[in-house]
Amino acid sequence: MKHHIKTLLIFSTLFLLSGAVFSQDVSELTAQCAASAGDVTYLKDFPAKLDAGTPGGKPPSAKFSMLLSKNTSYRFTICNAPDSDGEAVLEIFDLNLLIGSTYNKTTGKDYPSFDFKCQKTGVYHIFISFKEGKSGNAVGIMSFVEKL
Amino acid sequence: MKLSWINYISAMIKKIAYLLLGVFFLYACGSCGNKGPSDGKGLEEIPDDILNNGVSMISEEAMQGFVDNMSSPVEMAALVKDLDVSFSNKYLAPTDNIENFNTNFSQAFSLGIYGADLGYLNMYNKTNTVLDYIGAIKTLSDAINVGQFFDFTTLKRLAQNNQNLDSLMYISVHSFNEMDRYLRNNNRSHLSVLIVTGVWIEGMYLVTQVYKEAPHPELKERIGEQQIIINKLMIFLQNFKADKQFQSLIDELSILQNEFKDVSISIQQGEPEAIEENGMLTIVQHDVSIVNITDERVNSIIQKTEEIRNKLIRK
Repeated sequence: MKHHIKTLLIFSTLFLLSGAVFSQDVSELTAQCAASAGDVTYLKDFPAKLDAGTPGGKPPSAKFSMLLSKNTSYRFTICNAPDSDGEAVLEIFDLNLLIGSTYNKTTGKDYPSFDFKCQKTGVYHIFISFKEGKSGNAVGIMSFVEKL
Repeated sequence: MKLSWINYISAMIKKIAYLLLGVFFLYACGSCGNKGPSDGKGLEEIPDDILNNGVSMISEEAMQGFVDNMSSPVEMAALVKDLDVSFSNKYLAPTDNIENFNTNFSQAFSLGIYGADLGYLNMYNKTNTVLDYIGAIKTLSDAINVGQFFDFTTLKRLAQNNQNLDSLMYISVHSFNEMDRYLRNNNRSHLSVLIVTGVWIEGMYLVTQVYKEAPHPELKERIGEQQIIINKLMIFLQNFKADKQFQSLIDELSILQNEFKDVSISIQQGEPEAIEENGMLTIVQHDVSIVNITDERVNSIIQKTEEIRNKLIRK
């Protein structure tokens, strides 16, 4: 019985510790990513840790709904964790209309961040996914740039 | 026979040991990070599904999606600062009556109020006054057991040294985000809703009070746009109306919501435009929202906001 309890204690401790380490990593990544956004004011972060998608299926994504205000310039920045398998893409949608992305599918070009000059107050949806539906770990940052 | 008794007792001991271990871990998880004292009369002990009588009018997923940036103290303060409006202490909630907030309901709500004020102070780099608000936030966040998300030592040091103001802003906003995420992920969305409501009403108070003295059209438009937010906020507050304190708050805010009824927001359609300059991508939106609100309506919203906010912060 002692052996069982000891094993359970060890696994439980490791489980709790792994959660703490993950939170710490996410916080560090968030701080680094917010700093890399430039001379702007951090508003929100979007952590995304996703499993790989099924072959031929839609890549898994993390969704965040945000209220954005008219006459405001926002910056969206994406940062991959060092251990991330996949490369993250951040997209912003107005209802179902894609209005901005850190990845241009046509040219294949990646942008670490993009600015969004908002002219319509409302709810927008941020999606983070990983290219080719790979698993990955990333954080997106939304920052305030300026009033327009 | 003797052997079967020994086996039985051994099995029972095992079960009891696992049960105790389970209770220990449940207790450990429930209290991890809970540094602050609890007065025992708090909502923080009550999970959302109990608070709303087990009937969720909206899904947990919907709860997750609602709070983000519903009311940003940074953006509200930036709006005011951008119009060259000077800083004034009179827009801030006093911190000397903090002991009046002795229920988790009022503590969570006022945490939102002081969070909004902290954003305003940070935007204007008022580091001396910031310390009072950091102190108030510490007291309130400890009271609802979320003090662990605020690194008060660092916040205090940054404010006292009047240095790294960007860090002060980052840590303040990030701490609120982390606390909010924790509450929503741990079946404590009702406290998150209260904090957001507090942030919103204080931001609303700031903008409306500034408008009284500097009636800029952009402020008027921003006041009218709050129709979108109060309508969403009310849906989420309704989720917890089984609690009489929530019902009382809903009753107060319904009066304000009613003031927005004849505000109309129209959209002028346009295609978004992507511009790349020096490797930096900018998306310019050409959809434009236009707010129609009369002066009389703005004035009545200002008056109601002032009444409700002052009443709520006196509790």
